[in-house]
Amino acid sequence: MEITLTVNGTEHTVQVEPRTLLVHVIRETLSMTGTHIGCDTSSCGACTILVNGRSAKSCTLLAVQANGAEIITVEGLATTEGLHPIQEGFHLNHALHCGFCTPGVMLRAVELLEKNPNPTEEEIRWGISGNLCRCTGYNNIVKAIQWASAKMQNKELPSTEPEFV
Amino acid sequence: MIQCKTSKAIGGMGHSKKRKEDARFIQGKGTYVDDVKLPGMLHMDIVRSPYAYAKIKNIDASKALEIPGVIAVVTGKDLEKYNLHWMPTLMSDTQMVLPTDTVMYQSQEVAAVIATDRYIARDGKEAVRVDYEPMTPIIDPFESLAPEAPVLRDDKEGKTDNHIWHWEVGDKEKTDAIFDNAEVTISQQMHIPRIHVASIETCGCVASYNKVENHLTMYMTTQAPHAIRTVIALVAGHVGLTEEKIRVISPDIGGGFGGKVPVYPGYVIAIAVSFLTGAPIKWIEDRSENLQADSFARDYHITAEMAGTKEGKILATRFKVLADHGYTDASANPSKFPTGLFSIGTGSYDYGAAYMEADAVYTNKPPGGVAYRCSFRVTEAVHAIERINDKFAKKVGKDPAQ
Repeated sequence: MEITLTVNGTEHTVQVEPRTLLVHVIRETLSMTGTHIGCDTSSCGACTILVNGRSAKSCTLLAVQANGAEIITVEGLATTEGLHPIQEGFHLNHALHCGFCTPGVMLRAVELLEKNPNPTEEEIRWGISGNLCRCTGYNNIVKAIQWASAKMQNKELPSTEPEFV
Repeated sequence: MIQCKTSKAIGGMGHSKKRKEDARFIQGKGTYVDDVKLPGMLHMDIVRSPYAYAKIKNIDASKALEIPGVIAVVTGKDLEKYNLHWMPTLMSDTQMVLPTDTVMYQSQEVAAVIATDRYIARDGKEAVRVDYEPMTPIIDPFESLAPEAPVLRDDKEGKTDNHIWHWEVGDKEKTDAIFDNAEVTISQQMHIPRIHVASIETCGCVASYNKVENHLTMYMTTQAPHAIRTVIALVAGHVGLTEEKIRVISPDIGGGFGGKVPVYPGYVIAIAVSFLTGAPIKWIEDRSENLQADSFARDYHITAEMAGTKEGKILATRFKVLADHGYTDASANPSKFPTGLFSIGTGSYDYGAAYMEADAVYTNKPPGGVAYRCSFRVTEAVHAIERINDKFAKKVGKDPAQ
């Protein structure tokens, strides 16, 4: 079957089988390997992308379901102006270790901040509850999202220096 | 409050150091093993046993081979021709690459399907028909030690039971004497069940053998590339793959926690197929395979005892352990024995004497006692010692922290 997808602003027309998963089209046909597969069952969120602005787990979406959709993957976050605030926030706050879950969490956070620019810690934790990080870095992920929230609203940026207790 | 912090101009102590690898990870430019794509690469999927213990009567691959794009179906009998059907574990035990006649645990590898695409490989896997003769599995390590239990590892010449090893350490005489005369003794039985590391990236590899140069390049999710190279050479040295002919590349890894130290059969099958076909072979396990067949940790049955005075002074401790290692002893433990059990078990409190003994047994499970942060059994020791400390404190009416 022939489908058309707009991925990170570029239109692609590709041939797929009815059973082909969207994540495989992105990773294999389009060679954008930043979107990862962790569990094949939409439990872990490593494959999260934005489909028409909404976060979705691409390992359990058929490619044909995304025909005509606008898709953003991790490769589409940075622009010629520089990194997206969420990417900066993850780096500055040590919100990643192995990096495997990171693209999915960042894309989920982008949607969260779009709908709720100033979330509380609890709203952030609920917001990313569909994304697993096995290196157990949630505290810093929350800080990174709070940092990005401040940056996107031109507010004073939280410190990224170590806290002394 | 004292802050150990150098000035901003100097940096270093007390300042956050930014990681160099973040740049690629936050932009989706990391290279994990499933991101490796080589020209002419074929995909492998693995047929697994639904039974925990069964004889393989027949493997019929004809339906799978009819599927366009399925290149080959590899069985234990095929590997046996090249003597590649068994491999050593890091504990000097042996492990099947693919079975020739018996499966020893549920989800064990039975055959490998090689195809041009991962979907076709999966189709092929579904089309392979295997006839099994199921047998009653032993899943309880105590039953496994019973005299009437069948010998699971009958591949080992002269093996008459399911016992793997016995290990003891400490001063038995002195410890027993303290227990015999102690005012207060307590005993606690505990089972620390099996757990799995479940790193967010599953295991996998791309094995690429260059026939012209007789050289293997192995991209794989491994935490121990040097040890892996040695094991590959031990398995395949006799067909010409000696250590200097092997390069192991461990790219970005999506978590390990020890679960990416062992050599899994899938790696070796991929190498064997690449060696025979000359094509790069990619094998990426899915989550269900990862959780069912990769190495597990713990599975320790511990009887821990503590002796002391009525006032709450601890005098001695004694452990007796039964360790369920599954069908092969595949710990990733250079000391060969669970040495952390004693050193950690006796490290936190001031004992007059201590004695510990452990026995490992075979059961119809995947390799156990391998990985989740330590094959030395440090975690088990900490759990056991704190549990009996709490119980001892309760018995003498003290706060455990005192």
